[in-house]
Amino acid sequence: MKKIGVFICHCGINIAKTVDVEALTEEIKKYPGIVHVENYKYMCSDPGQNLVVNAIKEKHLDAVVVAACSPTLHENTFRNTSERGGLNRYVCEMANIREHCSWVHDDREIGSKKALQIIKTIIEKVRYDEPLEPIFVDVTKRALVIGGGIAGIQAALDIANAGVETILVEKSPSIGGHMIQLSETFPTLDCSQCIMTPKMVEVAQNDKIKLLTYSEVEEISGSVGNFNVKVKQKSPFIDWEKCNGCGECELVCPVSTDNEFECNLTTRKAIYRPFPQAVPNRYTISKLGQAPCRIACPAGVNVQGYIALIRAGKYKEALELEREANPFASVCGRVCNHPCESDCVRCEVDEPIAIASLKRFIADVGSYPLEQRKTTGERIAVIGAGPGGLSCAYFLAKRNYQVTVYEAEKVTGGMLVLGIPEFRLPRDSVQADIDYIKSFGVEVKNGVKVGETVTIEDLRKNFRALFLATGAYEEMKLNVEGEDLNGVIHCLDFLKKVNIDEKVTLGKKVAVIGGGNAAVDAARVAKRLGSDVAILYRRSRREMPANAWEVDEAEKEGIKIEFLVAPTKVFGTNKVQEIECIRMELGTPDASGRRRPIPIEHSEFKIPVDNIILAISQRPRTDWLPSEFERTKWGTLVVDPDTLETTVKGVYGGGDLVSGPATVIEAVAAGKMAAEAIDANIRGIKIERKEYHKGRPAPEELKRKEKIPRSKMPKLKQDKRKGFDEVELGLDENTVKKEVERCLNCAICCECFQCDKVCEPNAIAHDLDDKILEFDVGAIVVATGFDLYSPDKLKEYGYGSIPDVITSLQFERLLSASGPTTGDVKRISDGKVPKRVVFIQCAGSRDKENHLEYCSKICCMYTAKHALLYKHRVPDGEPIIFYIDVRTAGKGYEEFYNRVTDEGTIYIRGKVSKVYQDNGRIIVLGADTLSGKQVEVEADMVVLALGMVPKQESEDLVRRLKIQCDANEFLTEAHPKLRPVESQTAGIFLAGAAQGPKDIPEVVAQASGAASKAIAILTQKEITFEPTIAGVDEDLCSGCSICVGVCPYNARELDKEKMIVKVIESLCQGCGSCSAACPSGAAQQRNLIDRQIEEMVVTALGEK
Amino acid sequence: MNKGNFEPKIIGFFCKWCTSAAADLAGTSRKKYPANVIPIRFFCSSRIDPQHILHAFKSGADGVLIGGCHFGDCHYQDGNYKTARRVALLHNLLKEMGIDVKRLRLEWISAAEGEKFTKVIKEFTEEIKKLGSLKRNSV
Repeated sequence: MKKIGVFICHCGINIAKTVDVEALTEEIKKYPGIVHVENYKYMCSDPGQNLVVNAIKEKHLDAVVVAACSPTLHENTFRNTSERGGLNRYVCEMANIREHCSWVHDDREIGSKKALQIIKTIIEKVRYDEPLEPIFVDVTKRALVIGGGIAGIQAALDIANAGVETILVEKSPSIGGHMIQLSETFPTLDCSQCIMTPKMVEVAQNDKIKLLTYSEVEEISGSVGNFNVKVKQKSPFIDWEKCNGCGECELVCPVSTDNEFECNLTTRKAIYRPFPQAVPNRYTISKLGQAPCRIACPAGVNVQGYIALIRAGKYKEALELEREANPFASVCGRVCNHPCESDCVRCEVDEPIAIASLKRFIADVGSYPLEQRKTTGERIAVIGAGPGGLSCAYFLAKRNYQVTVYEAEKVTGGMLVLGIPEFRLPRDSVQADIDYIKSFGVEVKNGVKVGETVTIEDLRKNFRALFLATGAYEEMKLNVEGEDLNGVIHCLDFLKKVNIDEKVTLGKKVAVIGGGNAAVDAARVAKRLGSDVAILYRRSRREMPANAWEVDEAEKEGIKIEFLVAPTKVFGTNKVQEIECIRMELGTPDASGRRRPIPIEHSEFKIPVDNIILAISQRPRTDWLPSEFERTKWGTLVVDPDTLETTVKGVYGGGDLVSGPATVIEAVAAGKMAAEAIDANIRGIKIERKEYHKGRPAPEELKRKEKIPRSKMPKLKQDKRKGFDEVELGLDENTVKKEVERCLNCAICCECFQCDKVCEPNAIAHDLDDKILEFDVGAIVVATGFDLYSPDKLKEYGYGSIPDVITSLQFERLLSASGPTTGDVKRISDGKVPKRVVFIQCAGSRDKENHLEYCSKICCMYTAKHALLYKHRVPDGEPIIFYIDVRTAGKGYEEFYNRVTDEGTIYIRGKVSKVYQDNGRIIVLGADTLSGKQVEVEADMVVLALGMVPKQESEDLVRRLKIQCDANEFLTEAHPKLRPVESQTAGIFLAGAAQGPKDIPEVVAQASGAASKAIAILTQKEITFEPTIAGVDEDLCSGCSICVGVCPYNARELDKEKMIVKVIESLCQGCGSCSAACPSGAAQQRNLIDRQIEEMVVTALGEK
Repeated sequence: MNKGNFEPKIIGFFCKWCTSAAADLAGTSRKKYPANVIPIRFFCSSRIDPQHILHAFKSGADGVLIGGCHFGDCHYQDGNYKTARRVALLHNLLKEMGIDVKRLRLEWISAAEGEKFTKVIKEFTEEIKKLGSLKRNSV
């Protein structure tokens, strides 16, 4: 039997008070296998340890149990002691009778009894412990420092200066952290920038430091000495190798957003450098994806982009950007159904931006001379000069293809000029867009009917590819008796005649059948020709497919709309005289999602009419195409949805011919898509369509937005609407300027490419992707820093509702010479110098019930500094500080506090209960606990000395690192007194405020401490690992491989020849899950085998 | 047996990184709790074989408390998930054996939760006291 020695520690009175150490000693002596028992006041002290060494030697002990404190604290100590006595370190175990016993029980009898059980349990463990040899592993000589604030900078510099390669990873685009935001630092009043920037530069210039800003640690695996880390380098959308930090891009960027560095006191551009001294001195673009308006547009028009350019006064550039995706700016500015506006995020605040009206403005505001271009590439034919055909021609011509457009009509523009009346879309507006398209070298041949004048086969021979976009002109019939009578006319026929100035005469009473845009247009035209017009529609207003705003205008113009009626018969001799209708009701939804109209029996009635205009629907004509072109059952053309190629190779189709009657912008989108496909096919490349992330501000951000009504489109007065003058008059420049300010800049960067145009080194790279970099490192320093406690949680202090209630960090920026006021203390609301500033200490801290329980440690001192600096800037100013206690523990701190009070700062001892506004004045309501009175102070500005909380976004990282946090989410050190810079995981060290609130000197000291701990590992050739890993009893293993599946480290693999599992020792971390999973007991964790556990259980239960 | 004087025997299987550290914290903070639980420390709760638990019940335990890290916090990636699954299965088995499932309790207690550790020990001890001694002859 093993000879075991037991050493019981009194720990002063910590153990001895509740545990009868002497009685315990006697009791243990009787236990089997125990050859030596001894107690001592402090076993961990030198004489205590010597007792162990001597006993091992004298009594030839085989194993040792030290009954004392937690093994976390002294296991290593006593294992070293055992080694000194000549014993293997792994046959020494600790019985924790302090933390788990004497400290948690008051009753001496109970405590003593439990301590005995604990010790006996550990004796049973040690009885089966085997002497083990540590595992040696090579160390990767490279360090990782996470966080580029002063803590991370200091740690990285120290490690690098010890000659070890160091990777410094920082989340934001520049290192510097919070310290670079500060003005002066207490108590010496050194300028923070002046002492920080040289350190930042030193990092940039140190050969041993690899600086990765705008990067985040994504994955960590491995263990001390050999971690593997994956770092995501977020795309700055700028090639940092090329960027020289000149700042030209920033000047032309039209998008402004919150400036995080200035604590949102000012704005910055979407392309930015956080601050002028940034390291690296490079620009970054804030890009959240694509704005919802842009994604909603079928043609992908960059709406946010042209709105931003309008805001910058760059109307020509705005129009150019629009035309990148859609040549019909003028047309779509007027008649687009603008799905972009439905998806506008501004809807969540008030109303959508008047996007179409803004588009019209840029199309109308300037006429720019067109440069006539010539194309030289392959020849392409387009059939049909409507918006679809012309768009395809435009996008092809821009790619240098020679495009000929064949148009059957004498006029160019298709439905734009034949279908839509002039009061909605004046001809010169359409012509402007057509001229623009033609300027790219597009040739239009009017009056050529393909299928008659030329055949498809001829065209296929002479052109590389064909695009068919002949629209949908065939009118559908009503299918009621009498519809062929004179006076019943078809909508498109009617509109076409009016539009090309053919004489049309209507009778007095006109009924229009239908509810689409064509029906409403026809009705409004008929009204202008002098008739009384009624629209008869078989469903209700909700289901009406016409644009709601056009329906409104029609009603204003005096057109009657009868809902839920359907014609059943037309009466008349020679000419139409009456129409019989039946009333309808709505039933269940049909395939289109709209509720199906059902006739109400016996509800027929008659309306006297002179003319009936049928605007039911249209469909394309395809009888001119050979049979090899496949058609759908609705008579439209079948095409490949990705390329728009028809069933005949090299012939593409789009627009209404494929979709049936649809919108202008959908036709443009089809033309564009076909052009891309034709080009890709000719060049033999594959089209890659990217999925874009929808970029938008967070809903809570929107809550802060002020409601601003949408600009109204001025319209032609009713009495002037006799002729065909345009009804919508367009927004004036001032209104446009106001309207564009409403845009929320959803995706931040709008991709207007103005930066690209001015960047001399060609560094802008809007499509640059994130990069994943992989490193092996031996040690990690975590220095992720802090955030201020959210002032939004302190509603009682008025932050957010009273503009001159600001945070301490905002005040710091006001004091800073590099800040938004260049160091002058001014109010946010009116720029006036505040004559009385009230500082509220412990804003969030030391409030167990409502906020943070702990003291944030630095606020007393920085508030004293704020008061002093304010007094220096505003000598007649009056700083008043509300405090609970003033805590000035630190070198020179009390002296500094004395100076602050001497120089005229008033300290009031008491908490502030409320800050509110009364007639524009800010009132601070608090208590003066020294006089026992309530005090009410009027203030010009209130500064909240907010507490410190760990950086919110670092939570995920902490989980990935597998290190522990305390109840406040600050990182937990291995021991609060003796191992303050180590985490509980070997090889991971802690620095800075991520571990707890602290001031700069403490942070720097801790960072150097963490660095030296890291260096101690990294300068070793190899390190030892605990050998308490899993093994395999080859006689018992059946090779079932269950353990292989449960091992999280891939440390177990099946030897297929022997059919037994092997352990890869360097990978095994010793969790033991394989041992629990093994059905045969072959997998056993060393020194924690099943037998040991069973014996410990029996003993713990006192059954032994 | 008079339930008023009944002091249950409870085995605590605790992982080293979270629950055992929480027990250390409870001690350092001088929290007080009943002395019925004898702790056994593992590297990870996933080392606990269901057989160990059955063995404990067989050997005289009136209750078994397992303590591990919260989900996502496991020092060995996902050991606590394995433990959760094993305990869930074992609960089914205990029912079959006529052992009240309340006698086997699984708790996630992080290193920061000394307070929670204390609470759990108190609650569990009370619970087992109410259930009384596990009558092994009926098992």
